[in-house]
Amino acid sequence: MRYRTNLKANTGVKMNVFTESQCQELVFAAEEAMWLTGTEFHDPESLEILRKAGCTIDGIIAHIPPHITERAIQTCQKHIVLCNSRTGERELFLEGGNAYFGSGPCTPFTRNPYTGERHRATRQSVAWATKVLDALPNIDYAMSLGIVQDVSLLVSDRHEFEQMVLNTDKPIITVCNDQYGQEDNIKMAEIIAGGEEELRNHPFICLYAEPISPGVHCIEAAQKMVYGARKGLPTIYTPCIMAGGTAPATLAGVMVQGLCESLSGLVLGQCTKEGSPFIMGGVYTVLDMGSTIFSYGAPELDLMLAGLADVAHYLKIPLFGTAGCTDTCVIDEQAGVEAALSMAMTNMSGANLNHDTGYAEYGTTSNLDLVVIADEVLGMARRLTAGIETTPETLDLKEIEKVGPGGRFEPAEPYEEPDEGTFEPKNIRHDYQARLVDRGAREIWEKAGGKTLTQVANEKVRDIIENHEPEPLEKGLAAKIRECVENAVGHVPGE
Amino acid sequence: MATLEDIAQAVVDGNAKKSKKLAQQLVDEGLPPLDIINQGLMGGMQEVGVQFKANVMFVPDVMAAAEAMAAGVEIVKPLIEAGDIQTLGTVYICTVKGDLHDIGKNLVVMMLEGAGFEVINAGVDVSPEKIVEDVRKYNPDIIGMSALLTTTMLHMKSTIELLQEEGLRDDVKVIIGGAPVSQDFADEIAADGYSPDAVAAADLCKRLVGAAA
Repeated sequence: MRYRTNLKANTGVKMNVFTESQCQELVFAAEEAMWLTGTEFHDPESLEILRKAGCTIDGIIAHIPPHITERAIQTCQKHIVLCNSRTGERELFLEGGNAYFGSGPCTPFTRNPYTGERHRATRQSVAWATKVLDALPNIDYAMSLGIVQDVSLLVSDRHEFEQMVLNTDKPIITVCNDQYGQEDNIKMAEIIAGGEEELRNHPFICLYAEPISPGVHCIEAAQKMVYGARKGLPTIYTPCIMAGGTAPATLAGVMVQGLCESLSGLVLGQCTKEGSPFIMGGVYTVLDMGSTIFSYGAPELDLMLAGLADVAHYLKIPLFGTAGCTDTCVIDEQAGVEAALSMAMTNMSGANLNHDTGYAEYGTTSNLDLVVIADEVLGMARRLTAGIETTPETLDLKEIEKVGPGGRFEPAEPYEEPDEGTFEPKNIRHDYQARLVDRGAREIWEKAGGKTLTQVANEKVRDIIENHEPEPLEKGLAAKIRECVENAVGHVPGE
Repeated sequence: MATLEDIAQAVVDGNAKKSKKLAQQLVDEGLPPLDIINQGLMGGMQEVGVQFKANVMFVPDVMAAAEAMAAGVEIVKPLIEAGDIQTLGTVYICTVKGDLHDIGKNLVVMMLEGAGFEVINAGVDVSPEKIVEDVRKYNPDIIGMSALLTTTMLHMKSTIELLQEEGLRDDVKVIIGGAPVSQDFADEIAADGYSPDAVAAADLCKRLVGAAA
């Protein structure tokens, strides 16, 4: 008999970049920048909303007083749950250290899984991508993995949404060209959910807006934020900033600049409608000083976003993180290294809703082989964060005594369907069962064709495209969605 | 005694103080001001371009070199007749209407200036009408247009069409750049060139004005 008087234990593995005091310091610095420097809003309505709320407006620059920022941090809805689009079932709880993963949006290009050709994304490529996302157990939600470009570009967002919602029942993050596209996509989501209130109570979509760093809220971003807040739908506000380009070269300076932009978006949302659900975002990385690209594979991206997860946990605001992406043009060793590092680190940081899995070529080209590989890596990453449970039972002294020196222990128990590939241990003897990576002896590997991981992943992509059948929409809904897409009216930017 | 090689090296080293001092020395020694610029300062920048492509130098080094060159030019320029200063040509550059993204465009400006072009940076959200008006005003050799969005890149096409309508298209070369833009798109809208990054943009402009890249 053991007496374990309040033994303190880790239930899993979590990493930290910052202490609570450092998080506080970063938030105060952001508040200072929001007040002293301010940010530009290129939307007259947003400026008016902020002015009425007590911000100082100087031309198009809004200086947000700290007490307004602090109030917005308090009032935004933090308990955000994303739901299944077919059943309304509550699936992703974006809070605490819960880490969910999915793809990224808006790549102009994609790589065809059959021909290897890099081409502009199409309705079909988004449909294929969504099918793959739907089929993979460690992918929790969908973003489009491509801007549909075989239609009028001004309404491409409606086509993307249609292809996504037809091919997955997982939650969808919809990135719209402008507020008009966002209105249309919300309308379609309301049709599927069964009404405005039903969608608000069981949101299966999440909205997305992005300021332009440093410190510029373009009209599209500001209006999407305002409309999302009015609708009471979760809205991600996510700056993509580069150290040494659109932000200071110091990593802490990047954190401050990014927080300043995100929190300015939060304030706009809360001043529009107090209590609206908000998700803080960020792709913080470096401007690569050799190639001048916005790097998706830099270690600084992983580090800063893990730091941002600490700040988000401190603020108790859900975080939109980044993982599973690469700078390389093909899915090679570099892609594996960069994607794996980012997924392991992001998962350990407990960032909540993590995107960009499947991004290659520094975010310009999506690649489904990488999505499939990422799914496997995520299984491993989730095994890592599941940690090691220490209880009298798991210490297994009885088993050690029973088997004794020179004896043979029982094997660990592999997973069975339907949990294959995920890591939610059902009993203490479960191991993560790898499905894609090869651990076979040389002869076995050679007999199986001597394939690389990328080849195996590509075969799986094709198999999913050809054989996976996503849960269909309720009868009649697809036709209603089609009608909305066909009637969509595009708006020329700047007019 | 200072030499043109010394001042070129000061540019490569990004040493603005030294570049300024050497420029004054070379002037005092009686070297032709145009040689100081073309062979000394610009010679240094050419070497910087080579080293940048070879991954020996990086963006901050290029910026420092450009500053060192500017410091030298500042000393020499008053001694030259305005018409005598040879630039490779004038490039008018902007981000198109409805688009406020400009970090890539600004990197191109930096590279073009370093390469010896006179650059008119018209900023962001520039409409086709404004571009046409500015082309009449500045008479550039090249127009460079940038866009980050698939929606705003459509304004590149409408700008080229407007230049055509206004009878200006044959007087100027048009190049485009930005994440959603490609050579195919450039061909489709009948632009004269596309560049995937800032260094290649400078080379492209050199080719378009008939200078060796």
